[in-house]
Amino acid sequence: MRSALLLLLLLSASPTAAQTPFDMSGERPAASPAPQSMTSPSVPSATPPAATPPVSAAPLGATPPATSNSAPVEPEVQQAATEPSKRYLVPFTELVLAGEYAQRSWSVFLTPEQAASASEIHLGYQNAIVVAPEASRMTVSINGTTIFDEPIAAADNAADIVTAVPPRVLHAGLNDIVISAVQRHRTDCSIQSTYELWTQIDLARTFLVFDAPDASHWKRVEDLRAVGVDESGATTFNLIVPSMAQTVSTSPTIRLGEALALMANMPNQAFEVSEDDLPEAGPGVAKVVLGPAADVAKVLSAVPQGAEAGPVATVVDDPKLGPSTLVISGPNWQAVDMAIDDIARQVDRPAGSLRTSLGTRNWRTPDVPMLLGAGSFKFSDLGVNTLEFSGRRVRTDFAVGVPSDFYAGAYGQAKILLDAAYSQEVLPGSHIDIYVNDNIAATVPITTVGGEILRHLPIKVTMRHFRPGDNTVAIEAVLLTQADTVCAPGAPSSGGQRFAVFDTSEFVMPDFARVARTPDLAAISGTGFPYGRVDYALPLIMDRAQSETVSAGVTLLARMSVAAGRLIAVDASTAASAVADRNAIFLSALSQVPPTVLAQVGVSGNSSSGWGEAVASIKPNTETTFDEWRQKLSGSGWRGQISSFEDWMTRTFNISMDSFRIFPGRPAEYTPQGSASLLVAQETSPSAGGTWTLVTAPSASALREGVRTLTQQRMWRQLGGHLTTVDSGDDKVVTLPVTHFSFVETQPFSLSNYRLIVANWLSANALSYAVVLTVLSILLGLATAGLLGSLGRHR
Amino acid sequence: MTRGGHVMADADCRGTWMRKFLIILQWALASACVLTMVSLPISLETQLVASMSVLVAMMILKLVRPDGIWRLVALAFGTAIVMRYVYWRTTSTLPPINQLENFIPGILLYLAELYSVMMLALSLFVVALPLPSRPSRANLNDRLPTVDVFIPTYNEDPELLANTMAAARGMDYPPDRFTVWLLDDGGTLQKRNSERMVDANNAERRNEQLQKLAADLGVNYLTRDRNEHAKAGNLNNGLSQSSGELIAVFDADHAPARDFLKETVGYFDEDPRLFLVQTPHFFLNPDPVERNLRTFEQMPSENEMFYGIIQRGLDKWNASFFCGSAAVLRRSALVETNGFSGVSITEDCETAIELHARGWHSVYVDKPLIAGLQPATFASFIGQRSRWAQGMMQILRFRFPPLKRGLSIPQRLCYMSSTLFWLFPFPRAIFLVAPLFYLFFDLQIFTASGGEFMAYTLSYMIVNLMMQNYLYGAFRWPWISELYEYVQTVHLLPAVISVILNPRKPTFKVTAKDESISTSRLSEIGKPFFVIFGVLLIGVAMTAYKVYAEPYKADVTLVVGGWNLLNLIMAGCALGVVSERGERAATRRVKVSRRCDFEINGKWHKGTIENVSAFGARVTVLGPELEDLARDAKAGIRFKMFADGTEAVLPVTIRNFERTADGIAVGCLYQPSEAVHHRLVADLIFANSKQWEQFQLSRRGNPGLLRGTAWFLRMAIYQTYRGLVYFWRDLSGRKPTAPLGQLAEKRP
Repeated sequence: MRSALLLLLLLSASPTAAQTPFDMSGERPAASPAPQSMTSPSVPSATPPAATPPVSAAPLGATPPATSNSAPVEPEVQQAATEPSKRYLVPFTELVLAGEYAQRSWSVFLTPEQAASASEIHLGYQNAIVVAPEASRMTVSINGTTIFDEPIAAADNAADIVTAVPPRVLHAGLNDIVISAVQRHRTDCSIQSTYELWTQIDLARTFLVFDAPDASHWKRVEDLRAVGVDESGATTFNLIVPSMAQTVSTSPTIRLGEALALMANMPNQAFEVSEDDLPEAGPGVAKVVLGPAADVAKVLSAVPQGAEAGPVATVVDDPKLGPSTLVISGPNWQAVDMAIDDIARQVDRPAGSLRTSLGTRNWRTPDVPMLLGAGSFKFSDLGVNTLEFSGRRVRTDFAVGVPSDFYAGAYGQAKILLDAAYSQEVLPGSHIDIYVNDNIAATVPITTVGGEILRHLPIKVTMRHFRPGDNTVAIEAVLLTQADTVCAPGAPSSGGQRFAVFDTSEFVMPDFARVARTPDLAAISGTGFPYGRVDYALPLIMDRAQSETVSAGVTLLARMSVAAGRLIAVDASTAASAVADRNAIFLSALSQVPPTVLAQVGVSGNSSSGWGEAVASIKPNTETTFDEWRQKLSGSGWRGQISSFEDWMTRTFNISMDSFRIFPGRPAEYTPQGSASLLVAQETSPSAGGTWTLVTAPSASALREGVRTLTQQRMWRQLGGHLTTVDSGDDKVVTLPVTHFSFVETQPFSLSNYRLIVANWLSANALSYAVVLTVLSILLGLATAGLLGSLGRHR
Repeated sequence: MTRGGHVMADADCRGTWMRKFLIILQWALASACVLTMVSLPISLETQLVASMSVLVAMMILKLVRPDGIWRLVALAFGTAIVMRYVYWRTTSTLPPINQLENFIPGILLYLAELYSVMMLALSLFVVALPLPSRPSRANLNDRLPTVDVFIPTYNEDPELLANTMAAARGMDYPPDRFTVWLLDDGGTLQKRNSERMVDANNAERRNEQLQKLAADLGVNYLTRDRNEHAKAGNLNNGLSQSSGELIAVFDADHAPARDFLKETVGYFDEDPRLFLVQTPHFFLNPDPVERNLRTFEQMPSENEMFYGIIQRGLDKWNASFFCGSAAVLRRSALVETNGFSGVSITEDCETAIELHARGWHSVYVDKPLIAGLQPATFASFIGQRSRWAQGMMQILRFRFPPLKRGLSIPQRLCYMSSTLFWLFPFPRAIFLVAPLFYLFFDLQIFTASGGEFMAYTLSYMIVNLMMQNYLYGAFRWPWISELYEYVQTVHLLPAVISVILNPRKPTFKVTAKDESISTSRLSEIGKPFFVIFGVLLIGVAMTAYKVYAEPYKADVTLVVGGWNLLNLIMAGCALGVVSERGERAATRRVKVSRRCDFEINGKWHKGTIENVSAFGARVTVLGPELEDLARDAKAGIRFKMFADGTEAVLPVTIRNFERTADGIAVGCLYQPSEAVHHRLVADLIFANSKQWEQFQLSRRGNPGLLRGTAWFLRMAIYQTYRGLVYFWRDLSGRKPTAPLGQLAEKRP
């Protein structure tokens, strides 16, 4: 058993020359079985064996010690070789390159076999008809090597670009892919016209193809990181738990799901838990068998060696289940737990360690740096390179992470110290806009005629739109020129560079208030707060009997673990009544949610009858129609002037009636209805000692679908407020804002933090500030009267 | 007192100290709370809501209870908003240091604003709770100490001096207990032996003339060998030649009322450490600003804010200072400092600092007890102010009140307030120029958006005006301080800079106060005002152009343009100030009502003296026919003097006359030829200080911020027009045949 364990450790640890995206460097205890992780802090080199210490080099490749795994694979390899193995590239559910300049970058994990194989890249796309082919180009580069640079000319029919990837460009581990497009309009030079430019990448036709027969085979547990995506950008783990009906299986299943999710760290991961094999297979799908040896024997044609003796985690090519099946087993559940722990240990983060970055490389490079307090980053560190631009509208972005206890939304202002330049062509009236999570946060008008170099121009960026977790900050320059006004035919792309942003620019975060709030679903979305921090097994109350519910539970907890950057210990056997005043997650179909929980999180349980049925909304909404008419008529006449002044006031001061509340009341109970398929609600526990989150849906299958939709990257980041509903049909997320919350202290007491907390609270409650200031001023006036009465002369 | 009494007094003393400490602690705590609140980095919307709330609260307080504790509460409100402005201004509006072209002017503007805020804070301290007027001491004097009355003179007319001397001599005080000294620096040996024959001649003649006049009026004439240390030296010479217990000082043109000594000397016996009793300077004639804007009759004078509020505020902190005239000093105190200090050209304030620092006390009596003249032309007004500004700068340089040993902390703050005030030309100049940086050169010296301007700057400005109104209310109408500062800035700025560079250079120049302006004209030093006005006008045009041409930054342009417009309004009003109106009556007429007999052609008629000025009177005569009267005919007025009840005839010439419902109103000019005539004139004008008080009260009204602003705006527009008309006349070289001023001035 001892040797088997050692073998397992070596196997699982071998290719970690690639730095994991969880920033675990140095965090693992010295006793942990991964000495290799110290080797290369940077992007892995093209030759991983060289970078790996000789000790672990042995099990790599097809060398004899590893034959225990590779031996049974042989026949399968032949089978698979008939069809070249594909690796879909786009980890998004949709990829559209819009505007005059667009760029996306992410990393793709490849196994050593894939990296060593000859490969070619396929890219299918279609573009808007107005994109001028002679002036528009699309570029793809991998690891800094340009793979192709082609004109964009697929307006009529989708086109495919197929290019061989030069040798030695790909390497085992993470490979950075950058896709960028420069597009110009055929006829128009207006700013408006730039919004008509787009190129859509066809996800199903964009992939790498590997020639090598063993490229599609995983040999190590670590290879699971190369699971990739399917043709819709999703990643699915089929967890086959033959004994899932047993209570004892639930917690390990969830724990394994979390560990795998952290390991693969793909943006759209879902888990399907079942007793038996599921038909799904292909790229982007991983099969995992979990259970004691006796149980897994039911689904596997051969139980892996040693499973009867001790913990085993290995990749097998099973004739029944297919190639590259991860088996986690042992003689009993304790041994299985140990096997899971061995995987978990590689990806977990100790509770006390500070997070310096969020692992996002698989969908956005570089990893997003985390700001836990005042700090600044150069654009170059944020992945924004110096950019020169000759068109009309250019947008570039970067991301920064803030912790879940970020509490500066109401008052805070971050700063961008912009190094940029614009040529003499650029006319006043042009402007540079800053967007935070797609909300406008600042505008800098360009006012100087004749070009200018801006050196560290401070731009105040309101932090109103910052959320816990990663935040995208975009810089968009809108450039007006005389040439564009004239827009001489045939010369839309002529002219030199008009604008440049330099990578010496900086993003500066001031000190911000840190205190968490409950409820705040955005904190779960951002960093899994508060569940990512609990030091006890988190009670998860769900119906373990239904595989849909368990799937939903694993998917959700896995997503939360990824957000938290560490595993969340779960106790799935707690009864609802035994939760007491702790944190807890309730995950069930609405009918099974205890009424006390519903009442606690402010959801009404009695009108569940009509929920979940898609009802077409045909009743005209008077209010919306009225607003539309008002919109239509605004800006004309003096009435329009007044309303535009009103708009200016609202835009400038963001004044809403909410600012005038002093004691906000509790919100009314929410009655789930309509076509929303999932509801997530959060509230403090009855004695405010913990945070309860309810995830519910009309039925168990709706719950699974809803959680699957919600955990997609695009949806997940919209989770927020006190209550969120997800409509899986329309991919629509609706949040109800937090109206009443309690603070949860996350930082040791400090006066400066409290000052900022008070500042933010008062900024959100403007009238309170006015009242406090008034009262204090009156006190000062009275104190002054007393002072003047006792000092100086009196008569 | 028994031993027990001592113990009790000690305990009592400790008790009051404890109480005092607690009160200070309480105040410090309240301040700390407000400060903490104010320095929170709150959002813009919260700021807007808070400043609006505070503004509303201040307005309500203003309407309901603008005095007492509520006044202090309102000031605390204002202070909170001002502090929020300072916090915001400091933390988020300064241009980045790597843009020097923005940073340098930006920092200058910031410093100018900080100066203004600091001065506001100091004046808040000084006038937070001005001491109420003291009850009259006139009838409480059991002891009458001996008094030497000094009237220092340099070049004033003997006629003017005669009135002053006569009034001084006529004071209600036992004649043997006070001596009046005419301290003549215009007839010194040095002057009489001048190398220039004309000067020597003049000095010789003056010496003789004054000696005779003094002798006629019962005044001791005193001159000296050399004109050393100017006025201070002159007074010190007087000190060395006299021996009275107290010294009263009157400028040559400041004639005391009869009750002057009665109202002042009593304080010296109440407090043995008292060195000064200062009384306000009341002026019979308008200063050039008042004269040219014609506000003298309706609006409180500029110096009324100083004498009506500030000196009372200073008095609370035992820091009321000597203003050169209309004051009584204790000889024994002056002896300690070897007389009046003469390092600076404002010897008065300097002397007071020295004596305060030595633990002497001062008292301010808030009752006009002298009446004087102030400079009539804009040029001499500026000359006077230059002297004050330069003198205060010298004091700041040589005595530095904030660190002067011996002064109490409140006294240091008070003197800081009084001296630092005169740095105002710097911030004024910066405020004037700052908007032009943006309008003409597109420099961003104040980085804020239109919304921030609205939430912070605008509310700060309104609060500032409201606080001024709370502080000075009836004594200073809105925008008048700004106007006075602006009209002085243009010429004071170089003067202040020069004294900062050469602190020992300025010499004492006597302000001319007896000039008169017969024809309307532009002031000889008025040209720069037109240049500034022109530049600001271009700035306004630039604003309009920018709003039209660069609509994307219209909000900031409008804010800056509005600021420039405010400057333009001020500059326009100043055009009126430098357009000197020609005037018939040289001095203001004081309303009196005294029975008299009027002699025409040797016949006596009953009459009433309606009003008097330093040069003439208006009498309503009963009985005679119009035919009896003729222009320039000699006549006489006989009336009973307040001083001693004797009757005498004052010779006059008739200037004009008209029939009224009551009889014939005759305007006449004094023709004094003997000492007794001067006593008559002095008795007419100066005998009754009540009438001056009444006059002051008559124009003391608080128009409020809105009405005051509207009034100022109307005046500014009219004065701009008047200034431009004068300017055009001046350019075209025509002598104004019927000056606007004279036409308008025609009133009985």
